[in-house]
Amino acid sequence: MLKSLRVAGFLAFTSIKKGNFGVVALTVLILTIVSLNLLFVPSLLNGLVTSANDKLKNTYAGDIIIESATASSLIPDVEGLDNSIEGINGVTSVAPRNSLGAELSFANQRANVVVLGIVPEQEKTVFTVDKHLIEGSYLEAGDRDQILLGAQVAGADRPKLELYSRSLKEVHAGDKILAVYANGVPKTYTVKGIFYAEFIQADLQAFVSEAELETVNPQFAGKASSIRVKIDNQASETEVVSEIGKLRDGLRILTWEDYAGIVRSMTDSFNVINTILDVVNILVAAITVFIVTYIDVTNRRRQIGIQRAIGITRSSIALSYLLRGLFLAIVAAIAASLAFTYIVMPLEASHPFRFPLGNVYLVSGLPYLARAGLTLVVAALVAAFLPVWLALRIRILDAIWG
Amino acid sequence: MIELISLMFEVSALTKIYHTGRVELRALDGVSFSLPDGDLMAIMGRSGSGKSTLLRQLGLLDRPTSGSVVFEKKEVTRLSEGERANLRLSYMGYVFQEYALLGELTAHQNVYLPGMMAGDKQNNYQARARELLDLVGLGKRLKHYPKELSGGEQQRVAIARALINRPKVLLADEPCANLDTVSSKAVMETLVRLNNELGVTIVLVSHDPADRKYTKSLIVLSDGKIVERG
Repeated sequence: MLKSLRVAGFLAFTSIKKGNFGVVALTVLILTIVSLNLLFVPSLLNGLVTSANDKLKNTYAGDIIIESATASSLIPDVEGLDNSIEGINGVTSVAPRNSLGAELSFANQRANVVVLGIVPEQEKTVFTVDKHLIEGSYLEAGDRDQILLGAQVAGADRPKLELYSRSLKEVHAGDKILAVYANGVPKTYTVKGIFYAEFIQADLQAFVSEAELETVNPQFAGKASSIRVKIDNQASETEVVSEIGKLRDGLRILTWEDYAGIVRSMTDSFNVINTILDVVNILVAAITVFIVTYIDVTNRRRQIGIQRAIGITRSSIALSYLLRGLFLAIVAAIAASLAFTYIVMPLEASHPFRFPLGNVYLVSGLPYLARAGLTLVVAALVAAFLPVWLALRIRILDAIWG
Repeated sequence: MIELISLMFEVSALTKIYHTGRVELRALDGVSFSLPDGDLMAIMGRSGSGKSTLLRQLGLLDRPTSGSVVFEKKEVTRLSEGERANLRLSYMGYVFQEYALLGELTAHQNVYLPGMMAGDKQNNYQARARELLDLVGLGKRLKHYPKELSGGEQQRVAIARALINRPKVLLADEPCANLDTVSSKAVMETLVRLNNELGVTIVLVSHDPADRKYTKSLIVLSDGKIVERG
């Protein structure tokens, strides 16, 4: 085996060294482009999913969502529970919320929303909505008769918004709107601010201070419809969920993924798309190597016959072509990894793709590079082997003299 | 006193039939002969008489339709492809009519490649390849590629390559067919010297009656049959 490998390595080396440089360079170039594609598509989809997940967690769901699992939809003694949750290892902060459906109206426009009663200072530790204000300012604890609207609710004279036609259309900070709550209580609010998080679900929210919402429904005092929890990046969601579950009965505890099935189905769809594109890319890589090797083997049929006639074993000859394919694939994979890391990613970072949920950045790393490289190498090896195997089945005399 | 002669090849009733559609061509038709160790034998005959077909059977490059070839007391016609490759590598050297060098390798690399395959140590096969190229008068052309050599020089590189693994027999298929008179003479004299000095058994195919003078024995083929021995 060692001598076969030695001879194969020697034949592969001389064939690359003395072979047609243009063919080798073109093959490497095509494989590099294929490899870049193998890197680019998953990175983009992963960036899209990561961006969507981050938006979901930071502007809409939080990392962990706690709701009541009892007949009452409200969690009692929320302050005590908040303190207990904050004591759990890995928990960064908590934000209790109450919610009540309402119909908002401005001029002749109406919009149905769920108004969330929040404690602004706690809310800012869990969510980043306050960082996405496009008009006015964020709520404060003592605010009364003031409301913070998402852009998809306010409209804000932005006809390009996805749900503009269902919004209040022309509402701006400082305008007064009427809210009629589900319990029949009407309130007139001054719009304190408008936020645009570039995530539709988040931008459909409307916030008032918890104190304000308790004036609408006094039953909310000391209670919460839900508690949103933020955890450390390193903390395990599963472990934190388990610890919260030990605090009190009657709670339903969800992770952000459980809560927002839309993201999971989007991720699943992207994975399917990614797999399909991967298969296409691998086929392109394999067919490229197959054609190059097939032409090479056809041109060298006589040489292969001579090699066999002078005693070079079939395994050595086959191995030499595999090593050649391996070399081309490795060079292409390295070139693609370097180009992707040092050219494509910085370029994309300075000119990010714009999606409805905001800027999307390519997400990559060693596992992605290794996966693309390995995929290319395996495809190249299989594709290189087939034409050689076919050529080696030919009788020596036919190979030499046709 | 009886002298025991060791036989390199014993060929018995060797037949090779080619089929082209319904046409049957008997390239070899019951050929039998023996080849002693140390001989320098020529296989002669007209074009299409079966000379090269016979040599390819001896060189294990092809399989007969029937009959047997015993090489060094071992029947070799039914060996597997791998076993035949091993025998070719270890015991036989084959020189093709049209040089058959590998174009991407230098003269030196062409010669030592089978030595590398045989598993010899790198220093050994590289040094021996240099010696052999010296022996065939190409000691100063080690780094030249085949396209940089004349036909006669290429054929001598092919002879050196055939000798790298110290074969017991050298099989040469019309080694001078594509060469001018001067180159032909140089190649034939090289073969004679190898036979005399190294004791290598040589079988060569030739259609040139002038080559008779270089050989120790002879068979002449016609229509796949031996019609003359000498």
